[in-house]
Amino acid sequence: MQKRILTGAEIIWECLIREGVEVVFGYPGGAILPAYDALNKYSDSVHHVLTRHEQGATHMADGYARASGKVGVAIGTSGPGAANMITGLATAMMDSSPIVCITGQVPRPAIGSDAFQEMDISGAVIPVTKHSYLVMDIQDLAPTIKEAFAIARSGRPGPVLIDIPKDLQAEEFEFLYPEGQVLIPGENPIKSDIDSFELDQAVEMISEAKKPVILAGHGVLISGASEEVISLSEKSGIPISWTLLGSGAVPSSHPLNMGMMGMHGEFAANNAIHNADLLIACGMRFDDRVTGNTKTYSPDSKKIHIEVDPSEINKNVKVDLAINGDLKFVLKNLLPKVKEKKNKAWYKQVSEWRDESASRDIINMDTEILYGAQVISDLWKETNGDAIVVSDVGQHQMLEAQYYKHDEPNTLLTSGGLGTMGFSLPAAIGASFANRDKDIWVIVGDGSIQMTITELATAVQENSNIKVAIINNGYLGMVRQWQQLFYDSRYSETPISSPDYVKLSEAYGLKGYRVYSRDQISDTIKKVQKINGPSLIEFVVEKHDMVYPMVPAGANLDEMISRPVHEQFEDAEM
Amino acid sequence: MKQTLILFMQDEPGVLNRISSLVRRRNFNIESIVAGRTEKKGITRMTLVVNEPDMTKQKTIINNIKRLVEIYDVVDATGQDCHIREHALVKISIEDKDKKEIDKLVSSGNCKILDSDKNAMILELSGNESTVEDTIKTLKRYNILELLRSGKMAMISGNKDKHKPKLIKSSPYWEG
Repeated sequence: MQKRILTGAEIIWECLIREGVEVVFGYPGGAILPAYDALNKYSDSVHHVLTRHEQGATHMADGYARASGKVGVAIGTSGPGAANMITGLATAMMDSSPIVCITGQVPRPAIGSDAFQEMDISGAVIPVTKHSYLVMDIQDLAPTIKEAFAIARSGRPGPVLIDIPKDLQAEEFEFLYPEGQVLIPGENPIKSDIDSFELDQAVEMISEAKKPVILAGHGVLISGASEEVISLSEKSGIPISWTLLGSGAVPSSHPLNMGMMGMHGEFAANNAIHNADLLIACGMRFDDRVTGNTKTYSPDSKKIHIEVDPSEINKNVKVDLAINGDLKFVLKNLLPKVKEKKNKAWYKQVSEWRDESASRDIINMDTEILYGAQVISDLWKETNGDAIVVSDVGQHQMLEAQYYKHDEPNTLLTSGGLGTMGFSLPAAIGASFANRDKDIWVIVGDGSIQMTITELATAVQENSNIKVAIINNGYLGMVRQWQQLFYDSRYSETPISSPDYVKLSEAYGLKGYRVYSRDQISDTIKKVQKINGPSLIEFVVEKHDMVYPMVPAGANLDEMISRPVHEQFEDAEM
Repeated sequence: MKQTLILFMQDEPGVLNRISSLVRRRNFNIESIVAGRTEKKGITRMTLVVNEPDMTKQKTIINNIKRLVEIYDVVDATGQDCHIREHALVKISIEDKDKKEIDKLVSSGNCKILDSDKNAMILELSGNESTVEDTIKTLKRYNILELLRSGKMAMISGNKDKHKPKLIKSSPYWEG
């Protein structure tokens, strides 16, 4: 074979193409100039999306990864460019999203001299990545990129950063993509054998249980184990509740699906978990937003934890039986052993709880003022529940989880673990490159949208087919809710002004609408559904609305504040 | 309870940074860290003594360390038949009348004199945890000018397979 002498910059693109990369999200700058120069040669194979901020690039890579199941790639320059990526890396780390970030670094002789735009990014991101590299030798470049992709997508996925000095990008070297398997010392491969004793124990615990609950987490989606979870639920009559990131793991329409658990979880789900005698935790990590007070969490239940990452076992909640392994694989082995069973009395109890909560629901009421929950419920109906929804962080995020009834896996993308405001718009742009068949809706608050609103320009430049629904209540609503409940309604710095979003849309070059009342919702949604490209609707909603049910931080799950019959807000002042 | 862990890792720049970063961000209570080269090229060995009262957290520490890409293996030496050694250098100021007592201490075998002049002396202490601790306590009756402890190194007795680290690389992918 003919020897191919390439520059480091060319090797970067050659490697990305071999890893199946078709789109990258980035922002050029001094230390990454050689890579951008080489991109000209590869632009037929790789589409580069110019973002308006490097944080946006990382969220786009993340959104792309979550929607496609492939590794998302973000690229940026040294120093401030790299530093801007940290929020996106931390977001991806907390939510186990596979992304690879490539950053330029100052030339090797200048490293350590506090050169212009120098920053130790591979050191700075250690706590928020699965791994990070600083490539100091051109012969390590291709193997490092291959290894980075393997680490990002294997096991429990996560972000990896590769820092590449500018002079190394210009250096020439013989390009050979490393053949064969990537081999690394750590990050132990997933156990491929399951202790049959553990399975037998699980079977026994399931058959003895009278009040069992399945907890479906993000791991169900990552492992692709929806079918197995549903089978287990149906075979043994076990109702299911899901975490925020487990939304869509089980169809919302499934009769055994009780809805979300945790702080803003459904009344039925939280009550069931609190009163259960068995929890089967599938690919989830007992986050504090899920458990409330861990000391009194589901006090009478035995707990089975099926989890790929051994460091999550017994971290937050002590369990009686831990099965470490790939969820789909474990469940496939478990299912044939499980006995058929119906827990009729338990199911009846769960149904009663469910009906009790639904009857109080604001979406079924005629109100003068528009409510966020009504917007999302109507959006769900208008889109036939078939959109990919990218939600941001705050009240609207919880309302989305409650009222947009996802029936398919990977149709809700949201920043669950880190709770990164500003995630949704860029993540949706990223997702639009992964899925061109479904409508992509951004559900975002007036606070969150203003954190990364600059990416509207990216959406216009790329003609991304995304529809932005701003739920505008004039407040940083979730913080305001906490201030009302726990800080005697002292609304410190939570009222927030907004630009005129319709005019702003026009200025950015997209179509914008504003909706004040419920009867306008359907028509306006129909209008933007016809638009091929970005569009925006601002929904002006009740300012003092709260998200219910709510388990106050650190309380027991059965101490939740239920949905009120109907709240009057005359006393509340703006 | 004190846990003594022996870590085997790739000898690469930044690997110690990764361990200390992990220890700090997971809020583990660390008593001592010692690292150095080994009989195998490219492999660094570390003895990590953790003082973590929470039993479940103790297991989490090992699993968290194992998640690091550059770590080959972690051997738990806690409760094993194991030698834990420590070094210390102590500089004390002395008067002539103290010399006899110091000689006695030296003859007990727990320390030796590295350096001595009219009014100061450097002593080298080595031994297991308690001898170093006790000798330092004894020396406190003098004026300690400087004290330096190496941290603890551990080696498990015998040649049992279960105490041997896995020093092979493997694929992170899972073929299920």
